[in-house]
Amino acid sequence: MLDTFEILTTSGVVLWSRTYVPVGANIINSLIRDVFIEERIIPHSEEAGAKPTYRKEAYTLKWTAAKDLGLIFVAVYQSLVHLTWIDKLLDNVRALFTGLYGEQLKKEHTSVVDCSKFTPYFERQIQELEGTSDSAPSVKLTPPSSSNGESAEESAPALPALQKAQRPLYDTSADSTPVPTPDTSRPNTPGQGQGPTHLLTGKSRPGGGKLSRRDRKKASAVTSAPASSGDEASVKRKAKGSAKKNRIWGEYGAEEEDSSTILDYSQTDIQDGTSQPEALEEIKQETWGRKTGKGQFVLKDLDEEMDQIIAAENAKKESATASGGIVGSSLGALGGLFRNVVGGKTLTKEDLVKPLKGMEEHLLKKNVAQEAVVRLCESVERDLIGLKTGNFTTIESTLRTSMEKALTKILTPTSSLDLLREIQTVNASGRPYVLSIVGVNGVGKSTNLSKIAFFLLQNHHRVLIAAADTFRSGAVEQLGVHVRNLKELSKREGGEVDLFQKGYGKDAANIAQDAVVYASKNDFNVVLIDTAGRRHNDARLMSSLEKFGKLANPDKILMVGEALVGSDSVAQARNFNNSFGPGRGLDGFVISKCDTVGDMVGTLVSMVHATGIPVVFLGVGQHYADLRGLNVGSVCRLLMS
Amino acid sequence: MPWYDTDSWLTAAFAPHPATMAFTLLLVIALPILLHTFIYRKQTPTSLPGFVLLGPSGAGKTAFVTLAERSAVAQTHTSTSPLAIDAILPDTIVPTSAHYRSPGDPAYERARRLLLQDTPGHGKLRHFAAAQLANPINVRGIIFVVDAAAVADEAGLNEAAEYLHDVLLALQKRYTGAKTSKGPKEIPVLIAANKLDLFTALPPHLVKISLERAISEVRKSKAKGLKDSGVAMGGEDDGLDEEREWLGEGGDGPFEFRQMEEVGTTVTVKGGNVIGGDAADVQSWWEWIAEHL
Ligand SMILES: Nc1nc2c(ncn2[C@@H]2O[C@H](COP(=O)(O)OP(=O)(O)OP(=O)(O)O)[C@@H](O)[C@H]2O)c(=O)[nH]1
Ligand SMILES: [Mg+2]
Repeated sequence: MLDTFEILTTSGVVLWSRTYVPVGANIINSLIRDVFIEERIIPHSEEAGAKPTYRKEAYTLKWTAAKDLGLIFVAVYQSLVHLTWIDKLLDNVRALFTGLYGEQLKKEHTSVVDCSKFTPYFERQIQELEGTSDSAPSVKLTPPSSSNGESAEESAPALPALQKAQRPLYDTSADSTPVPTPDTSRPNTPGQGQGPTHLLTGKSRPGGGKLSRRDRKKASAVTSAPASSGDEASVKRKAKGSAKKNRIWGEYGAEEEDSSTILDYSQTDIQDGTSQPEALEEIKQETWGRKTGKGQFVLKDLDEEMDQIIAAENAKKESATASGGIVGSSLGALGGLFRNVVGGKTLTKEDLVKPLKGMEEHLLKKNVAQEAVVRLCESVERDLIGLKTGNFTTIESTLRTSMEKALTKILTPTSSLDLLREIQTVNASGRPYVLSIVGVNGVGKSTNLSKIAFFLLQNHHRVLIAAADTFRSGAVEQLGVHVRNLKELSKREGGEVDLFQKGYGKDAANIAQDAVVYASKNDFNVVLIDTAGRRHNDARLMSSLEKFGKLANPDKILMVGEALVGSDSVAQARNFNNSFGPGRGLDGFVISKCDTVGDMVGTLVSMVHATGIPVVFLGVGQHYADLRGLNVGSVCRLLMS
Repeated sequence: MPWYDTDSWLTAAFAPHPATMAFTLLLVIALPILLHTFIYRKQTPTSLPGFVLLGPSGAGKTAFVTLAERSAVAQTHTSTSPLAIDAILPDTIVPTSAHYRSPGDPAYERARRLLLQDTPGHGKLRHFAAAQLANPINVRGIIFVVDAAAVADEAGLNEAAEYLHDVLLALQKRYTGAKTSKGPKEIPVLIAANKLDLFTALPPHLVKISLERAISEVRKSKAKGLKDSGVAMGGEDDGLDEEREWLGEGGDGPFEFRQMEEVGTTVTVKGGNVIGGDAADVQSWWEWIAEHL
């Protein structure tokens, strides 16, 4: 069963929500962070054509968006349940919501959308969709935490008559004694049930709506019954109550309004209202009350209206795509051309094909790997379709700004690395800070390690450099030369540096471990470990990294990549990132030889794209001082130039 | 030459001179338009005084915005796009600019309106905030929201401090880089210590002290850190950025918010909570806003 359905804006405000079982806010927050912002998890759909899913803890989330209005529709349900109709629900709700409130949503400088009347529409959608699908068996799989809905659901089709007969009982006694009926004798109160309860029964009888109203009432009556089962239950009940009222405003305010609104009720409603006025407040006042007042019944109207809205929205969409497809009419083409210049054109996939192609080639020329280009272009395309171009902006310039934004987003680290401060924090806990460097052969691992060492020496650290490249002949000596130079320089700069080496042939992981022990004994506060270069597709050498990571346990593992490398960068980054075993990955990239590529700095993007791990240093020359932090703005400018 | 001379400008002004006619015509056409725009602008200020909300993700910026707009908080999630809303000061608060007006006066009502601009706080989305800071048109103040419970631990404190450091540095740069001798309009900063309803939250004065201490650290390590790649790779601003930026007073002393006054930014710390407790308590923030409206 559905746990929660929320409609929220990209600016983070929940406009409308329906909660069956409370779900922590962090679940949807992590969907936003992982999928929309950091794009760390590329959502995949289980079946072709289905909406993508995202899993977090025990929940599965599905979503859809209305880009032009900045809306996100999210459905959250337990992963154990297999719900086939969620896609359809999302689509329908989107069509309904945009159809009903599209105008309100376009207003500027406000986040308020009065969508209190939306609940009946939503309820009807659920009823219809659940009715058409055969998801009943799967319901049993649901763990008890969400079983409130299901218990009612099971009983509803089975015992319509019984239920009908006993309804008066509920009306009067629900507050006091639970009557041992199939419904109430269930371990969980049926309080939750209204959505699913009338699912099958509602349609079969003309007065189905009455049932649903009564159910609602019944549900809320139980909801407000005195707490008898401890904390957990009361929490649940509270959440249920708020869900019923469809309050998106949180817990304040709504409680006070009810007494005044009961009055305009027809006879039955008063009855309902007095027994449980609070829970009915929204519904009766807005839609239900008005219609019942006229003495006709509601659901039929609602259904028709709903179908109309959905059809209209779909037609709108269709006509948009059609007009994009058939450019045969010369007038339309001319208008499109005009609007392309002046702005105010709603972008369709077709409009974007050509400019995107151009953008793709441009990025490829900048040495961005194919895979990363495709992803960037797709994300930009997703961003732009359905969007209106601003006044006096062409598609091309809209695309440009959008791509710039995408690049900024991908390159900006979630949190910036401040090496000096980290060293401080780690040293404060009484152990040396360990940083190690990995990468393929010949990318400049030792050189960049020395540059980092130089930077640390300038800040008066005592640095131990460990030669854990016991594989390539000459590697230790090469590092020895660097250390000699650094010693020379550190006389001026302050700080102290030494080399830790055990010759060739030994196991790198052990050397690294020894180096750390040696460092703590001899009062070094930073250990830099150089490792042997290895092809990222050499399984044997790569597998030794896992042991290395475990034994040396570096605080940071940086991978050096060459700015010159082309499409291979993606595979390199990925393989190295995965080579340390589960739970451990790279912490950052050092991109070397940036001075040799001019503006073709695409490698940065490729590597970050492949792993979501930030670039922390750039090597920009031959001297020890030629190490830089990343300036995202300037890299973006280079890429877009 | 006397005024009655045929060549005097006064005579020329009354003569059917083509230049005179052209000038008059221009005046006739332009004056109403100018007058209209002048008065129109005066009456409905096209842009309200703005307050920009900054701060790390999850601090409660969006929650505050919704509280300001309706009288109750809406449920919120991580923002991915900025949001601007029209807000009106609560009835209990009178802005300094309207002390002498009586309620009911339309000017009084107008003086109570403001634009609250929310920005996403996620590290990857701070470019929205940066754009606001780079070009603060009509910005009367910056409200930097921090989660007083999150700054109780090291990681949360560092994140907030780093962000705040960058914000203050941007304001300082704007001040020192101004071309006019008078300096640009002052932009005050309110550090809104939010979530005081949580028992793990630090009280406002401790939030202030911790932030000052953390910013001192950030400042120090920023100064010692590596230069960034802009100069070496872009080549466009060569030599310009060589000088390191240093927030606040020179010297090795600790950073204090007081030092920002020299560069036209007063920093105030006030506590509150948007949610929880018995009710929301953001009175002190509103007072600050009213003071700077
Ligand atoms: N206990 C408590 N929680 C609060 C308070 N203010 C906000 N919150 C909660 O903090 C969470 C984050 O609030 P938001 O307003 O969405 O955070 P934000 O600053 O907009 O975050 P981003 O949009 O990611 O930048 C929400 O779940 C709020 O309910 C408060 O005063 N007390
Ligand atoms: Mg927000």
